[in-house]
Amino acid sequence: MRLLALVLSLVLAVPAWADCPLDLGRGTGWVVFSDHYMIAFRPEPMRIEVGEPFALLFNICTKDGNPAELVAVEATMPEHKHGMNYRPTIVAGGDGRYRAEGMVFHMPGRGEVAMDVRAGEESERLTHEIILK
Amino acid sequence: MTGRLLAGLVLLLAVAAQARAELDWSAEEVSAMARHGPWPPSPARDPSNRVSGQAAAIRLGEHLFQEPRLSADGGLSCAACHRADRDFSDGRAQAMGRVRLDRRTPSLWNAGYPHWFGWDGAGDSLWTQTIRPILDPREMASSAARVAGLLRQDGTLACGYQRAFGERPGGDDETLLVDAAKALAAFQATLVSPRTPFDAFRDAVLAGDREAMARYPLASQRGLRLFIGAGNCSTCHFGPRFTNGEFANIGIPFFIGPDAVDPGRLGGLAALARNPFNLAGRHNDDASGASGMRTRHVQRLHANFGEFRVPGLRQAARAAAFMHNGHYGSLEEVVRHYSEVSPDRLHSDGAPLVRALGLSPEQSADLVSFLRSLSVEPPARPPAPPLCP
Repeated sequence: MRLLALVLSLVLAVPAWADCPLDLGRGTGWVVFSDHYMIAFRPEPMRIEVGEPFALLFNICTKDGNPAELVAVEATMPEHKHGMNYRPTIVAGGDGRYRAEGMVFHMPGRGEVAMDVRAGEESERLTHEIILK
Repeated sequence: MTGRLLAGLVLLLAVAAQARAELDWSAEEVSAMARHGPWPPSPARDPSNRVSGQAAAIRLGEHLFQEPRLSADGGLSCAACHRADRDFSDGRAQAMGRVRLDRRTPSLWNAGYPHWFGWDGAGDSLWTQTIRPILDPREMASSAARVAGLLRQDGTLACGYQRAFGERPGGDDETLLVDAAKALAAFQATLVSPRTPFDAFRDAVLAGDREAMARYPLASQRGLRLFIGAGNCSTCHFGPRFTNGEFANIGIPFFIGPDAVDPGRLGGLAALARNPFNLAGRHNDDASGASGMRTRHVQRLHANFGEFRVPGLRQAARAAAFMHNGHYGSLEEVVRHYSEVSPDRLHSDGAPLVRALGLSPEQSADLVSFLRSLSVEPPARPPAPPLCP
């Protein structure tokens, strides 16, 4: 609820972000943001299963409305410093939309999706925690 | 008098507590336990194999499985090393083909479900993996021409092929070798291990059936608690088959000679990339491309050195030896390994997935009891039905 309020306040406060479509087609998903970027994303299929490949659909916006690029996506188990044995392919769909295919979490526990984004010279890594059961 | 009554009551309570035949399980533990079932799973289907799950192919595969003429000298069948009376393994610490091999013959129970095959994951489908020992000069030492010739020339096998694939075996040698492997895979995918005492306990816990729960030995219950809890075993031995299907380095020595090592997954990925029968190749029957997803995206990392497949644990207690190379001869030794493993043998700069558990003798015995409860004596197999009666 607090996250939703924060997102709403950001969206309302920043005109460029107000135009950032957060719905990726199923009316649900995650939103992460920094001072410069806002990323909405969701998995496909919607439920991530341990050991099963999944894709991530992204919509990436910048605060100033400039286009941003999704450079890399990684899934890790931070406590074990254990990455994926799989290298996802990223396909740009235009208008800040991306699809990363070929991701797999190997084990249950606290996982993390890390997204490297870049707008011009400026790049940044945003992360999101996922609990896998 | 009152004192004696009180003492009697305390004694009765103590005896009642002792007689309780199940532990109290937290909601989190029940949830963790539930993830190891249900069993059996739905029949395995492989979209990369157009005859997967089809009765005629399964029948042909069962006959080919027992066919020594597939091998170069006509003396070695698949069933010679994957013996039905040995849980589809061979009862040896290390496999014996035409020569002694460096790794243990894996059991074929539940072979239809993984997505990587072989101890090093060099196979990305069951049929791909099936081709390897047929062609390997150390094992059956055969060839596409030999397998194709057998299918074309043996009237019964040709008939079985026609029933399975809808045409006479007339294609090129390589295609017929692949089709033989696909029929063999269709058969192997039917080898689903039986339900076990653990499955009955898990289902009883989920159903709240205390009477059925009480039939599961307390030692196994305590071992299960360790397995899904403090032991952290279920992180890798995950899900109904007790494996996440991936690879791990658990500190088993990888030297196979004075100056030779088994690189494990690192070598397996190199072999996969150069294998013309992998799922990125022309023999994959899955037009959607989905079955080749892992093959297209898997990456070869230095960390893969010394990693071997996380084996499923169903029927594993019945093996003659344990680990990829038969390094241990008993479950007790396996548990001692996890209890005492040195961090120096492992390669991790994070919280290690494998760490010395420091188990007491009682805890070790409990863990062994639990692992044994994942195995049962399988029912005897009926003889293969005639191929073309």
